[in-house]
Amino acid sequence: MSIYAVNKLCRRVVQEPELVEALKADPDAALRAARPPLSDTERELLLAGDVGRLGRMGANFFLMHQLGRAEVLGLTLPGYSERIRAEYREERSADR
Amino acid sequence: MAEIVGAIGLPHNPFTAMALHRGDAQLADSRRLYDTLAGHLEAMAPDVLVVATTDHYNLFFEICVPIFAIGVAERATGPCDYPQLPQSDVAIDEPLAAAIQAGAVADEFDLGRSQEFELDHTILAPLGLMPPAMGVPLVPVWVSGSMRPLPLARRCFALGGAIRRAIERSELPRRVVVIGSGAFSFEVGGPKMSETSHVGVPDPGWAARATELIGAGAFADVVEQTTERQLVAAGNASGEILNWLVMLGTFDPRPPVFIEAQLDEGHAFAAWRLT
Repeated sequence: MSIYAVNKLCRRVVQEPELVEALKADPDAALRAARPPLSDTERELLLAGDVGRLGRMGANFFLMHQLGRAEVLGLTLPGYSERIRAEYREERSADR
Repeated sequence: MAEIVGAIGLPHNPFTAMALHRGDAQLADSRRLYDTLAGHLEAMAPDVLVVATTDHYNLFFEICVPIFAIGVAERATGPCDYPQLPQSDVAIDEPLAAAIQAGAVADEFDLGRSQEFELDHTILAPLGLMPPAMGVPLVPVWVSGSMRPLPLARRCFALGGAIRRAIERSELPRRVVVIGSGAFSFEVGGPKMSETSHVGVPDPGWAARATELIGAGAFADVVEQTTERQLVAAGNASGEILNWLVMLGTFDPRPPVFIEAQLDEGHAFAAWRLT
């Protein structure tokens, strides 16, 4: 399974206002229309806005933060950041 | 004959640029630093700005991610990734860009060509804050500083040397200023972000050391210390220092006439006057 489809979707969010609208109107349909197709797991995690798990699966953080910037999939920029901090709490405290 | 008359290193935080356009008084320090560079740029009186930068997934992704590429076209618009910033349609110095690409390739440096592109905030956010820069034709040079594998630091520095030779061999009458755009330690959206925002400065000590070495003209030392391990520790945007290394490779090592860091932002501002 390649995480490329997730990264590509995040990138398109920056470039395609229509995709942002579609993700707000009917996120499941918009995600099912993604090409290359998202895996079921990827689609479910995106629908849940679970950027922490997607990060663990290798999704690109710079690209994913654009979901927060665009305020799609239940995310905002602060909400996105909170989820990443929560997922990586252990590593973050080890870094200090 | 074309000659390199100056060089500038600067950051390109788009949120800072938006706040400065709004006249945010809290950013007086950033305003002063961009104004200082703008003063040097005006005195250098360039005909063209060669800007080394890192594409932020705006140009290169699906079809190809070149390690190094140059923009050869007549014009380009942007910033394409921040519609909130003032939009511009700028001239690209196509003859010089073509000469740099041909010269670099003949010099055994395989620089890819992009013939149709938009410019992102990494170029137009800082230039838009420096009035003397606007209206001067550009040549964008992209270094793949975000997506691994990143090019080696010494390879980026060597690219600067190849660009210098290509410029100096060119018969085009041009006063060239080379700009390196980016931060030394910065994280966007990743696990090393701060507790209070989506960005952070994971390794301010590295930003301080890089600024000190560059300020001392110790370019070989900063190249040697810009290792993969250091870049991983310094955040997912720390590869932008590679853009500075391209810029530093375009002239003989020397201390800048101006350098100042903003360590809490992981970056620095610097200028070299070469004539």
